Amino acid sequence: MSVDLVAVFFVAAGLVAAGAFAAAWRRDLTAALAGVPLMFAGAGVAMVGIERFSAAGGPHLVGQEFAVLLAIAAVALVALGLGVSGREGSR
Amino acid sequence: MDSLHAIGFYVSSGISLAGALGVALLPRRDQRGAALGVVGLGLAGLYVSLSAGFAALLALLCYLGAAWLIASPQYRSIEGVAGAAWRQMGAVGGAGLLAVLAYSAFRGDLVHAVYYGGEFGATALSRLMFARDAMATEAVAALVLVVLAGATAAWRVRERGR
Repeated sequence: MSVDLVAVFFVAAGLVAAGAFAAAWRRDLTAALAGVPLMFAGAGVAMVGIERFSAAGGPHLVGQEFAVLLAIAAVALVALGLGVSGREGSR
Repeated sequence: MDSLHAIGFYVSSGISLAGALGVALLPRRDQRGAALGVVGLGLAGLYVSLSAGFAALLALLCYLGAAWLIASPQYRSIEGVAGAAWRQMGAVGGAGLLAVLAYSAFRGDLVHAVYYGGEFGATALSRLMFARDAMATEAVAALVLVVLAGATAAWRVRERGR
């Protein structure tokens, strides 16, 4: 049993497509917002996989760094979206 | 990659994809938040199996935080203005995106084209992004983060002022 870049890309594709589906399908915008971290997770998995399997010989850790940045950006986007939607009873 | 890492990769893949389907399909927000936490767990497992332990720890923390925010009952629901037909078209578009991305993953190198700088593909792109243009890409990513954090802070200040 082994893992290669194609398997990593398949998982990343599934996460991105599930996020896009959630963002498009949900009627409630705060529920649709939950699809954004899924798409970012797919991008992060692809970047870590590329670094793990394809970028040998180049500088390491950059793909991981982008994955961390994407995770932080996902939380920031969720916080921004929920902040824009407002709290219950604030208006 | 040894068998233990491969098993961990496939198990974590299943966990993260199941959580992603939960985020897309579960009806209640606490269930969606829990599903997003499951995605974070699976994502951390994926990163660990790909030898990215530090990224796994930070991704787990970030996704658990996002799950807590999504599950929180204190934020109001906003009904979208898009009609059912548009949402169905978007869902079909998501399925089409899966097909395109899966085909690209199957091809491995995304596209086989040659431009003046050499071969173009996932490997060449990663060399550009992670090596030659790493500083510029990081600067753009940091700028996006600052913009997001600033917009969140500005909106909260404006909401408090009302």
